[in-house]
Amino acid sequence: MSTRFGSKPGGYLWAFVDPVGHILFLSVIFMAISHTPALGTSFLLFFATGYIGFQFYQAMAGYLNGAVNANRALLSYPNVAPIDTIFSRYILQLGTTTVVAVCVFSAINLSLKNPLNIHWPFILEAALAASLLALGSALANNVLFLKYPLYEKVFGIITRPLFMISGVFFLPDSLPHPARDIILLNPLVHVVMLFRKGFYPEYRAIGFDAGFLYKVTLPLILVGLLIFTGSRRSLRQ
Amino acid sequence: MIKLEGATKLVRIKGFTKAIINDVSFVIPRGKSVGLLGRNGAGKSTLLQIIAGTLELDQGRVIRNGKISWPLGFQGGFQGNLSGEQNVRFVARIYGVDTEELVAYVADFAELGEFYRAPVGTYSSGMKARLAFGVSMGVKFDYYLVDEITAVGDTNFKRKSQQVFKERLRGSDVIMVSHSASSLRDYCQTGIVLEDGKLTYYDNLEDAISAHESNMKRPRT
Repeated sequence: MSTRFGSKPGGYLWAFVDPVGHILFLSVIFMAISHTPALGTSFLLFFATGYIGFQFYQAMAGYLNGAVNANRALLSYPNVAPIDTIFSRYILQLGTTTVVAVCVFSAINLSLKNPLNIHWPFILEAALAASLLALGSALANNVLFLKYPLYEKVFGIITRPLFMISGVFFLPDSLPHPARDIILLNPLVHVVMLFRKGFYPEYRAIGFDAGFLYKVTLPLILVGLLIFTGSRRSLRQ
Repeated sequence: MIKLEGATKLVRIKGFTKAIINDVSFVIPRGKSVGLLGRNGAGKSTLLQIIAGTLELDQGRVIRNGKISWPLGFQGGFQGNLSGEQNVRFVARIYGVDTEELVAYVADFAELGEFYRAPVGTYSSGMKARLAFGVSMGVKFDYYLVDEITAVGDTNFKRKSQQVFKERLRGSDVIMVSHSASSLRDYCQTGIVLEDGKLTYYDNLEDAISAHESNMKRPRT
C-alpha cells in the first residue's frame, strides 16, 4: 500500500507544494495589511506553525475519510481487512506531513536571524493529538459516508470553514471574551496553540486546555472504533 | 478440507431478507475438484466469498484446512491507480510469495506488454481478466475458488491458460462456479447444487448437472 504515492510521479511533490503555497500566500496577504505578525517577527514562521499544525489534522482527515472506498478492490483478498486500509494510510500520511514539516521549518530556520528555539514535546504532542482526532473521525466517517451519502455532504459543508476557525492565522488569545470561549470549543484550536507553543517559548497560549483536547480525542477514537468494527461486514461490500 | 458447520448466511435487500444458505453443515473433501451449480441469484458467488473468508456468516462457522485462494473473478482485486506490476507485487507481499518471481511469471503469462507498467484503470476488461488469471496461477494454493473465469482472451491464450490451470490442478483442487457444463466437465469430478438455501453434494458431476437441470425446469420459489 505504500506504493500509492509512487503511482503518481507529481504526487509526492504536491505534498510539499500545497503547504508551501498556503504559507507563502497567507504571509504575503498579511504582510500587506500589518507590520508584524501576532507572534514573533516572522510572518513565515507564524503561518507555518499554524498551517502545518492544522495539516496534521486536515490532510490526515481528508486522506483517511476515503481509505476504505478507494481500496475497495483490494478487499476482495480475504487477508486484507478494512482496518488495514485505514492504518496504512494513517502511517503514510503521518510520515508525509512529518517530512514536510521538517523541510519547511528547516528552510524557515535558515531565513531567521535568531535560530528557532524548539520545544519538541509540545510539537510531537500536538501532531499526535491532531492525527488521532483525524483517525477517530475517519473511522466513523468511513462507515457513515457509506451508509448515509447525505451525511457526507453535510460533513463537507460543516467542516469546510474549519481552516478559518482553528486559529491558523490569528491567535485565539487576542479575541474578545465571548468569541474566545466559543472558539476554544474547537479542539483544533488547542492543537494549533500547542503546536505554536513548541516554537515560541514566549507564547502563553491563554485558554489552552490539554485536558479538553484529550476529552474530545479519546472518546472520538473509541466511538470511531466501535462504529467501524460494528460495521466491518458492510464495509466489504 | 473445508467444513461448514451450521452455516447460515442472510442477505438483506431493500427490506426483505433471504437466506443464501440456511443451517448448512457440509464437508468439501480434499483431493476432488467441485463444480458449484445453482440458478442465477442463488448465491453461488456469495458462497465462494464465505469460503474465502471475505464474507462472514450470520451463524455457524467455516473450518478451513489448507491454503485457499481469493475468489478469482474477471475483475480481480486491483487498485486502479497502480500499474499491473505494482498490483502483482502487492499480491505477492500479502500472500508471502517471492515478489520478483511472481512479477516475472505474470509478465510472461498475461502478455500485457507495455501495459504491464500502466495503471490498471486504463486496462480493457480482457486485459484485466488476463492479469487476474495470471496472478492467481502464479500463487500456489490448495484450493482455487473460481468464479466464471476460465475462458478469457483469444484462442491461443485460452489454450495456454487451460494447460497451466490443469497443471495446477494436479496438486490442488478447485471449487468452480460456472454456468457452462462443459467447462465444469473439463475441471471437476464432483458437484454441489445450491437450491433454496440447501447444498446437495453429488459424488459424480454428471448427477449434479442433471439435478441442476431438473431444478431449472421448476419455477423459482
